[in-house]
Amino acid sequence: MAPVASYMLRRLIGSIIVMWAVATLVFFMLRLVPGDPVAAMLADAGGPDEIEAMKRSLGLDRSVFVQYVIWFQNMLQGDLGSSIYGSRAAVTDVLTQAIPRTLSLSLLAFVIALVIALPAGILSATRRNSATDTTVSLLAFLGLSMPDFWLAILLIIVFAANLQWLPAIGYVPLAEGVWPWFSHLILPAIAIGTAFSAIIARMIRSSLLEVLKSDYMRTARAKGLTPWMLMFGHALPNAMIPVITVIGIAFALLISGAVVVENVFAIKGLGRVLIEGILNRDYPVVQGAVLVVSAIFVFSNLIVDLLYGVIDPRIRLN
Amino acid sequence: MKLKNLTKEMRKLWDDAHDFDPNDPMVGLTGKDLSGPKLSRRTTLRLLAAGGTLTAAHLVPGFSTMAHAEGAAGGTLNCGWAGVAEIQTLDPAKIGQVLQFQITSNVLSGLMHIDASLVAQGDLAENWTVSDDGLEYTFKLREGVTFHNGDPFNADDVMYTFERSSNPDISIHSKNLANVEKLEKLGDYEVKFTLKQPQASFLTKTLERASGRAMTIVSKGALEQMGDAQYGLTPVGTGPFKVTEHVLGQGVVLEKFADYYDPERPKLDKITIKPIDGVEPIAAALEAGDIQYIGGNPLAAQLIDRFKSNPDLVVDIKPAPGFQSVWMNPWREPMKVTDFDKPMDELMKDKGFMVRLALAKALDRDTYVKQAHFGYAVPGYGTINPAMAFYYDEGIADKSLQAFDPDGARELLAAAGFPGGKGFPELELITTPAQKRNGLVLANIYKQVLGITIKVVPKEFSVGIQDFNNCEYDMRLGGSGGDYDPDDGVVDWMKTTSKFNGRTRDTEKYAFGYFSNAEADKLIDEQSVTADLEKRKALVQEANQITSDRVACGFLYHPVDVQVRHKSVNFPAESRIPGLHDFDRVTLG
Amino acid sequence: MSDITQNLDSDPQPKRRSRFRATLVRDRKAQAGLAVLLLFVIGAIFAPLLAPFDPNEMTLDMMSGLSWTHPLGTDDLGRDLLSRILHGTRVSLFIGVSTVGIALAIGIALGLVAGYFGGWLDLIIMRYIDLQWAFPNFIIAVYLVAVFGTGLLNVIVALSLAFVDDFARVARSMTLSLREEQYVDAARTLGFSKARTLFIHILPNAVAPIIVQATVSVSYAILGEASLSFLGLGVDAYTPTWGLILADGRGFITQAWWLGVFPGLAIMLVVLAINFVGDWLRDALDVRQAVEG
Repeated sequence: MAPVASYMLRRLIGSIIVMWAVATLVFFMLRLVPGDPVAAMLADAGGPDEIEAMKRSLGLDRSVFVQYVIWFQNMLQGDLGSSIYGSRAAVTDVLTQAIPRTLSLSLLAFVIALVIALPAGILSATRRNSATDTTVSLLAFLGLSMPDFWLAILLIIVFAANLQWLPAIGYVPLAEGVWPWFSHLILPAIAIGTAFSAIIARMIRSSLLEVLKSDYMRTARAKGLTPWMLMFGHALPNAMIPVITVIGIAFALLISGAVVVENVFAIKGLGRVLIEGILNRDYPVVQGAVLVVSAIFVFSNLIVDLLYGVIDPRIRLN
Repeated sequence: MKLKNLTKEMRKLWDDAHDFDPNDPMVGLTGKDLSGPKLSRRTTLRLLAAGGTLTAAHLVPGFSTMAHAEGAAGGTLNCGWAGVAEIQTLDPAKIGQVLQFQITSNVLSGLMHIDASLVAQGDLAENWTVSDDGLEYTFKLREGVTFHNGDPFNADDVMYTFERSSNPDISIHSKNLANVEKLEKLGDYEVKFTLKQPQASFLTKTLERASGRAMTIVSKGALEQMGDAQYGLTPVGTGPFKVTEHVLGQGVVLEKFADYYDPERPKLDKITIKPIDGVEPIAAALEAGDIQYIGGNPLAAQLIDRFKSNPDLVVDIKPAPGFQSVWMNPWREPMKVTDFDKPMDELMKDKGFMVRLALAKALDRDTYVKQAHFGYAVPGYGTINPAMAFYYDEGIADKSLQAFDPDGARELLAAAGFPGGKGFPELELITTPAQKRNGLVLANIYKQVLGITIKVVPKEFSVGIQDFNNCEYDMRLGGSGGDYDPDDGVVDWMKTTSKFNGRTRDTEKYAFGYFSNAEADKLIDEQSVTADLEKRKALVQEANQITSDRVACGFLYHPVDVQVRHKSVNFPAESRIPGLHDFDRVTLG
Repeated sequence: MSDITQNLDSDPQPKRRSRFRATLVRDRKAQAGLAVLLLFVIGAIFAPLLAPFDPNEMTLDMMSGLSWTHPLGTDDLGRDLLSRILHGTRVSLFIGVSTVGIALAIGIALGLVAGYFGGWLDLIIMRYIDLQWAFPNFIIAVYLVAVFGTGLLNVIVALSLAFVDDFARVARSMTLSLREEQYVDAARTLGFSKARTLFIHILPNAVAPIIVQATVSVSYAILGEASLSFLGLGVDAYTPTWGLILADGRGFITQAWWLGVFPGLAIMLVVLAINFVGDWLRDALDVRQAVEG
């Protein structure tokens, strides 16, 4: 097997193991959490008998290990169980609805962040130590330092409550129209994407500065290429390599930012599902959400690693 | 109730309504009077009087319990449901929250439905007879009624609903049917309930479509076809509106059911209900016109003034049926009381009781209402609330030993061994996260008045209620809602065997839950079967006074029911039932 | 674009000790940052003296705006915002620093051991670190708080454990690269034990990136604590932390904008200052590795 392929295979298997380990750890730790969900659901109407009956019907009366085995078996068949709350919706249904929301939000945040970060980083690097550079740097620092939920609140106050240009909360699927979908997501995307954007911008700046100093660039300049070609043909592509790793790492920011911001904007994405699941002791939902979130992470890291490995041969053979 | 303002005509009606033999469990009405298809005005007033909810308004000439919907038909009403992130289920067998049955009341029908006077009128029951001993209820079902999916409604559906609701594995309301000995199908459109014991509230509590979830009629065909989980999202019923869409976290869409059995209802074409968690978002949505009506959980008090000052909005405030208290665990030092039955003068010497009373007397309810609820609540001294009209003792604030008395509280605390609060242990007050603010206000009041430190511990409801039921807590802020009848208050809460009274506690360690008084138990049991208005009132108030004086808990306040809507929404008075949002007579424009 | 064609000179390399001073003199942002941090630290230490009111004292003066008695206004329970923010400084800084201190200690221990001894020890430790690394730190913290409950100790433990992976990775990678350095070899040849080598020779040279990582982590710890408090998973209902003040004020912001602005501003200023200082340290210590976070 070619080195690249075997490397990919190793990483893939490693990723799956990591995901399984995370899900298992969470499964058992969750049972430690105080608070009996069944008692809460029956708060008004049930005595000890009703509680037992409900536990039976939800499968919560068996031992933890048995529950785990059952859960694992079902999961392999694509059945993640049902929420033990309210409408007992299937966890897969809950997640299927939640995932596109978080993904829409994160991708939009990602795009906005890049749209801001790229020109900012390039400008900053090329006009090093000028007024532009200082301003951009300062703005980047500000963006990094602002708590995402604070920015979210401020955005709501200004754009939704006062100016009333945009809706304050909620989510509309893309299928119902581009503008409704976009208008509901733009504010939270900005809230999440700002910190991310700042990190990328600074990384682009420092990486670009390194590349611009290098021998490689000296050679390219000697060839007499135009500034545009130098930048976009040579400097930037090389500068982006370390940036890609940072993007992979900073992606964590997007998802954990989503957790809090989804809360502020009442968008029922993965973050919200996870938090509510934890607070409601809704075990199956938390299991499923943890599985999905860790899958997203692990595989996005995998992709970044593979990209890096493909681009930079030195790393591959580590 | 200010009787002096009634005219002579109304006075006559009032007297007739109260004219029945005190010992008569049927309040002077015959089985025929109580039977359908419609209750006469005289019967209605008598029932109201017996239930203690007769007010001067009911006696005004022209009052009718069966009002017609006015206004132009059509249009879409957009609603926001406050304080909730998602409407989890609409399956009557599983509904546990008021905000859920506010919606199902529009989608599913019961055999009866209460009107604005809280009197049960026929819904899917066209006519009914009640035997003279009050044990047999024979219903003639309405013909020509269809479910939203086209299935015809008949007695089989009633039988199916009964089976389903009696099964504790499926329904959490199975206990509501405990008093039914059997249900028989007498024909395609006729069923008969046989009760074990006469139950005055049977028509109302068990059979009507809002709070009587046990017998809210479900569609067998739909359940079998879509399964429980889906039915919980998009229930199929016989109500004026059908559920066309329900996305968790996004909301419910209701549309006019064209084949509803009453051709005059509903008027609206469509209703959208969006759950909106968060104070600012729902205010913004209402003010921006995204929604025109707010339902769901009680609205955040700080928004009320804001909405009131908005000329485009209508704010309607009524007393809400409920109470909230500071519960004190009688099994924990220093408020330990193991015997509430002692004669009062002996009880007053009990150190634990002195602390309890001190804690109750220290409750500066006026300041609390002002700070925690911005003035929108009523100080409370018992489980009997102002919405219970006649039963409510307007003078209880002066009579109760719990009335705010800072000096008295301090004296008691000192006598109990904690002068100026010195040496008093730090107690924990459990609240839900939403009530954290209220808890902080209380802790502050205790600090100011008694000099003691109370630590506020917000816990998710699921965790807090466990501690409460197990009797493993110091203090807890909590209470009840939807209490229309004195039974909802005293029977459900103040008896030794009340369902909330330490339900899951270790009975070896704790003989009772939070309170147990033999005399109160006796009085409560007696009032439960007493039809005579005056007599029942006396019993209720005596029991209430006992729970107050003997500090069953530190009673704090009664909430208010606030309805906020855009002025373009016409909401007829007859639909305005505190706690519900019935849209079948609502029009726009 | 014309700048690309110019040849960029590399920076001069003065000696380590005076690098701190030299870089500081040039870096005005860092100067501002240090000044701001100093102000906050003073505010934190002397909060009880500086605060005009008790932070939990409720008055009937609810949601009143900026005034001479209440320079930053009051909240919905009539508590003075300035006093609350001042006291909040104590908690936030304390949590930020202690969290990082603990994470640092644990993480470095793990990373050093893994990097230096290698073998199965490395394998086990790094497998676990990778596992934790697969998850965003904040989400781990949320989960731990949900499991163990809220409260000052639990929040610190939750956040510390969540941040361990960053320090472990940095420590390990530094140990790996330093392990090959000549002076380490020399130490071993001279007969120093593995442990001594580890502590006396490797650790001091690994300090630079660790310091920079620490500043980055402190800012994330402060933001993390604020987010936890905001979600209702913070210290407790009483202690005014900035995140809590924002969460409590959320429902009242349209009527009282100061409740939404000042606490967030405090967070932002502290984190900004830390970031400026961190940047300066990175410069002064000449750290080029990609530091986690």
